[in-house]
Amino acid sequence: MVVAKKTKKTHESINNRLALVVKSGKYTLGYKTVLKSLRNSKGRLIIIANNCPPLRKSEIEYYAMLAKVGVHHYNGNNVDLGTACGKYFRVCCLSIIDPGDSDIIKSMPGEH
Amino acid sequence: MVKFLKPNKAVIVLQGRFAGRKAVIVRNFDEGTRERPYGHCLVAGISKYPKKVIRKDSAKKTAKKSRVKAFIKVVNYNHIMPTRYTLDVDLKDSVTSDVFQSRDKKVTAAKAVKAKFEERFKTGKNRVK
Repeated sequence: MVVAKKTKKTHESINNRLALVVKSGKYTLGYKTVLKSLRNSKGRLIIIANNCPPLRKSEIEYYAMLAKVGVHHYNGNNVDLGTACGKYFRVCCLSIIDPGDSDIIKSMPGEH
Repeated sequence: MVKFLKPNKAVIVLQGRFAGRKAVIVRNFDEGTRERPYGHCLVAGISKYPKKVIRKDSAKKTAKKSRVKAFIKVVNYNHIMPTRYTLDVDLKDSVTSDVFQSRDKKVTAAKAVKAKFEERFKTGKNRVK
């Protein structure tokens, strides 16, 4: 099986990087603000949960393609993504505007 | 990180009377204005698409079927879906913000847009192979 299974290690590193962004950088959570950040070209990286409805996922990916912004498909559902951001609610998609101290922008777009 | 909502971008209107119609951005207002404190743009689009022409049609019928009805509108960014296509027609001088002040101005501007769209359609420059 040549499926590129995301190992436990890289998944934790995404979580670590996300936690650092939440602590030190700027980000927005939620579909409407993600589209807004893409339209005014403030978004630097988009993260989408795996249980995002496929139409919404395609729409965000299309906007990101137009804006030439990387999209990362998070290995977890919206509950997990919300927990990774340290929030007590579900987060289906989020946009990183300013990564702060984190290197998430430099390391993530290589994987997609 | 590239701004893609620029003039000449082809978009699809998502809400309102013209939902599902294709339009072209003429002018954007990213920061909004005092009356409209949100990102919006002036679009010129097709209200009635030209009908399908068959070989049997006479010249008079072909002319009637190739007519295009245009609309101009101010739309919120949330109500349009941008595409990766552009349409380079020069609509800047006919469609301006003060066109929306009176109905007559709006109608004449829409007629000017209609003429440009019909000309582009008839020359077949934007034809999809």
